[in-house]
Amino acid sequence: MTALETRTRPAPPAAPHRRGPRIPSWLTRLLACLGGSLVLALMIGDQEGSQTDYGLTFRKQILAPRVFAFLALGVLLFLCVSYWPRIKPYLTRPGFWPLISGGLAVLASITLMHWFDQAGNGKFGAVSDAVSRTSGISPIATAFYGWLAWTMLVVSVVVGGAAIVIGLRWLAFGVAALAVVAAVITYLAHQAVVDFTGQPDHSLGYLVSILGYIVILSGMLAAGLSHEASARSKHFVTRVLGFRPGLPLVIVGFVVTLLSFVGAAAWFSPSNKNTSLSETHDLFASTSINPFALNYLGWLSWVVFVGTLALAAAATWYRHRLLGWLAALAGAASTIITLVVLYDISKLGARTKFDGATGPWQNLGVGGWMACGGLFLLGSAGFVVATSARATRRVAAGTANGSLSGSPNGSGPNGVSATGSVAAADAAPATQPSPGRRAVGYLTAPGAARSAVLIAIAAALFYPPTATPFWQQVVVSEIGISMLLAAGLNVVVGWAGLLDLGFIAFYAIGSYTTAYFVGSLPVKPPSWLHMTPLLTIPFAIIACLMAGVILGAPTLRLRGDYLAIVTLGFGEIIHLAAVNSQSITNGAEGLTNDTGRHTKSVPNPSIHIGPLHIHWGLNQLQYWYLLLVFLVVVLLAFRRLEHSRLGRAWAAVREDEVAAQATGINTTKVKLAAFAIGASTSGVAGVFFASQIGTFTPDNFVLNNSILIVAYVVFGGMGSLPGALAGAAMLTWLPEFLKSQVPSSDRLMWIGAVVMLMMIFRPAGLIPARRRAAELSGLDGSSSSETRAVPAGEGL
Amino acid sequence: MTVTAPTSEVVFDVRNVTLRFGGVTSLNDVSLQMRRGEILAVIGPNGAGKTSLFNSLTGVYTPQEGSIMLAARRGDSPTSVVGMKTHRVNQLGVARTFQNIRLFPALTALENVKVGVETRQRSGPIAAMLGMPWQRREERESNSRAYELMKRVGLSGRANDIASSLAYGEQRRLEIARALGTNPGVILLDEPAAGTNPVEKRELASLIKSINAEDDVSVLLIEHDMKLVMSVADRIVVLNFGEKIAEGTPEQIQRDPVVIAAYLGTSAEQAESQADAQPELRLIDIEPEGEQS
Ligand SMILES: Nc1ncnc2c1ncn2[C@@H]1O[C@H](COP(=O)(O)OP(=O)(O)OP(=O)(O)O)[C@@H](O)[C@H]1O
Ligand SMILES: [Mg+2]
Repeated sequence: MTALETRTRPAPPAAPHRRGPRIPSWLTRLLACLGGSLVLALMIGDQEGSQTDYGLTFRKQILAPRVFAFLALGVLLFLCVSYWPRIKPYLTRPGFWPLISGGLAVLASITLMHWFDQAGNGKFGAVSDAVSRTSGISPIATAFYGWLAWTMLVVSVVVGGAAIVIGLRWLAFGVAALAVVAAVITYLAHQAVVDFTGQPDHSLGYLVSILGYIVILSGMLAAGLSHEASARSKHFVTRVLGFRPGLPLVIVGFVVTLLSFVGAAAWFSPSNKNTSLSETHDLFASTSINPFALNYLGWLSWVVFVGTLALAAAATWYRHRLLGWLAALAGAASTIITLVVLYDISKLGARTKFDGATGPWQNLGVGGWMACGGLFLLGSAGFVVATSARATRRVAAGTANGSLSGSPNGSGPNGVSATGSVAAADAAPATQPSPGRRAVGYLTAPGAARSAVLIAIAAALFYPPTATPFWQQVVVSEIGISMLLAAGLNVVVGWAGLLDLGFIAFYAIGSYTTAYFVGSLPVKPPSWLHMTPLLTIPFAIIACLMAGVILGAPTLRLRGDYLAIVTLGFGEIIHLAAVNSQSITNGAEGLTNDTGRHTKSVPNPSIHIGPLHIHWGLNQLQYWYLLLVFLVVVLLAFRRLEHSRLGRAWAAVREDEVAAQATGINTTKVKLAAFAIGASTSGVAGVFFASQIGTFTPDNFVLNNSILIVAYVVFGGMGSLPGALAGAAMLTWLPEFLKSQVPSSDRLMWIGAVVMLMMIFRPAGLIPARRRAAELSGLDGSSSSETRAVPAGEGL
Repeated sequence: MTVTAPTSEVVFDVRNVTLRFGGVTSLNDVSLQMRRGEILAVIGPNGAGKTSLFNSLTGVYTPQEGSIMLAARRGDSPTSVVGMKTHRVNQLGVARTFQNIRLFPALTALENVKVGVETRQRSGPIAAMLGMPWQRREERESNSRAYELMKRVGLSGRANDIASSLAYGEQRRLEIARALGTNPGVILLDEPAAGTNPVEKRELASLIKSINAEDDVSVLLIEHDMKLVMSVADRIVVLNFGEKIAEGTPEQIQRDPVVIAAYLGTSAEQAESQADAQPELRLIDIEPEGEQS
């Protein structure tokens, strides 16, 4: 409050006067780059060593010829940094970014992905070892896995880069041709291995590689075409996509469905078989399967696919609302039909005890789920068209009279959050697009955000069934729950700007509340109360609301760091209370199936409403879909909340508390609301956690976890709901992913490196909030209030 | 359009207010009355205590002595605002702007105004999460009211721009729009013309007058720009070193030797003789603009 009204800003401190000899800046830069490359050399590879030999790692990683590769990388970086102004113009040349991203995709597929399931760990290296040891395999495969794969990648990137830099069109076309050849060779080599062994294969490395080459191809074509031609085609693409919001969805849906129908994708895959759509038809032809399903496998699938595709394409192309709804309906219907067929074949498979299946939905291949996802996307395209048509008309009217074009309330439950920018982009193709806008035209086109959301939904619905049990477990008990927690904390930290370092406490309260009401704790609820875990949700919410208010009411007058410390203490108090209250929580041992102590594990959730009986058992997928329901409900509610009166009040309090008060906002109440809403989300996550895992101890709720949740939110983008979710998903996925990529002792180091790089290059987070991004860019001097401060003597 | 002449009703009744910060006395036994419908200007040299007065009136500071009674809207009974929370004072009908602009920088201009408008609404978080009809209606109302206010202050083209990207003068007007959004009976403007150009100043003067006349809002104005003050103010109060040294119509204040002395930093007699000898040295040598009522 002391600095409430200061008229002039303090003068910036004078630049410190340096004494002593100056080290030239290029030298420090070079040293930094080389140092960085040595660190990288240390990071890559096993961190070996022992008490008797501390230097083992050092000798192996650095005092070896491999160090020169890293040093070269350092020098390259140094050159890039030093000659940045001269390099920069090349980066905007057509074809540069596709070349880089395509190259990276190929590189990632070779270094990270599986190429053939049956060889060793399935990675490229293992496959190439196996191939080199095998004789009689097709020479294409031998060459490809031997040296050709790397050569093709290096040649296409280097020569392609040269073509762009020098501006040689024929060379660019040459590289484009090379990319086609490389894609074909990749496919042939992979197919040769599969044919040679005759074993089923689910790996995707070759597909990603081919995709990478296709991206390179597109980049090279762009480079080869004249400036005019490429500008024209870019403009064309922008116009087409800008006017046809569902088009990307149609394309993706078409490709995915087609691949699932004609490709090698398996529809039914007991461990010793792998049958594509038509093979599945043959397999089931002579069984007692429901004739409808058989017809589907035979020809109906194609009819359904083509029909939906035609509807979706027509709706998108003509931007017709009725067609859009029809396409959406067709998409939904065909997805459901496909699911029914999958159910039928897997049920029959289970009845005949194929490969030890115990019930429906087992032993299904990737293909069926891909088809579901593809058909779903085609339907989504229709939905996007149907819902954005009206918005466009209104937006057009709005821009005409210069107002009302960006009313956020008009966008409906699935609307894009930033209708304002949408309006601008929509108007752009009609008028004359400015260069900057043209470049991102299709990203800001109407429905683009919705398309991204729908693709995410399709992935959330249809990816998990195709994942391995390990990943299903990860998706449910780590990614899903952490997304829910991050969404809750985002309210407190991101929207209201209150740093809460004890967020896990509410999760604990939710978990223990559930355990209490289902009678798993030493203290029992009243005997007439019979609860299933899902029924305890309201109680958990109430408990967390109360805890949030109890914590918030006395502490919310504190600001920033002080509040963080208090919440930190609160988290510890809850943890210690759980540890020490032996008679209530069974102390540090937590919940166990111990009749002497009167504790038992929390039962799994179940629903019994009338004829509906669902019991969640051991299958992780079931939990995932339950969690998905929670997530969707929370997200829809929070999305509305963000753009409501309370959401804006939070932003106001976060931005300037004094001004918020002077504008009539009861800041205490608003902050309490943030605490309570965040806490109750965490409580719901706690209910889910308790009933899914059954037994838990206070150690599930330690400070570390609170900090992790804060990290999710910051990493994803403070104040951005999709950001928080993406951050949570990324940061929980990454450690699990790295498990199979780097030595386990190196894992944390890599995670740290990723987080650091992220925060350096994208300080606003993975998917920055519009508001937050504005705040950060305000620091770059564009803020007019700073540059045009009132001269001190003005006025008198 | 209802033109409201100043009445004898009192909006702010400030009696013997003293505000100290440790050894510094920002306000010393200040008494003043603001009448409904008037434009009252508070002037004085730097550090005179003008902003401190504003902060005392809005509950940001709590004066050690004296009383402040408020009846912001027509028909309100006087309430004491000493020790009241800032947001409560605002809800009683007192809106303000800040000397060094305090917008919500990362929100759009429109959202800034909406924040103000929405403090007068009542739909809660649950209604928002469920998208209840009344919440949607309120949202629509807040939108259209905010647009209206943006237009009012001449910012309709910049509704979707981030507030911090607006030019200085625009930010000042946006603050006024936000304050008007809370539907006040009194608006306190702290140096609204600081840092703006002559054209903007002229527009501002007519904006202040129209707020006063058309919206029936009493205006308390701190301003260093004497031309602006003289052209809009009905009455002027002069503070110096935390004390009220003069009060009166613009004409009276322009001629008041004590005021001139305060501004020149000399004694009153000296100032008077100087002003007589050299008319150009008088505090304000600008005629009040003719359009004044
Ligand atoms: N929060 C505070 N703490 C300590 N002293 C304060 C505080 N606020 C104001 N003052 C002091 O009170 C006196 C009056 O300050 P105030 O800001 O009210 O002046 P002002 O008339 O608004 O001046 P200006 O024209 O420069 O805005 C100054 O001496 C100032 O230092
Ligand atoms: Mg002041």
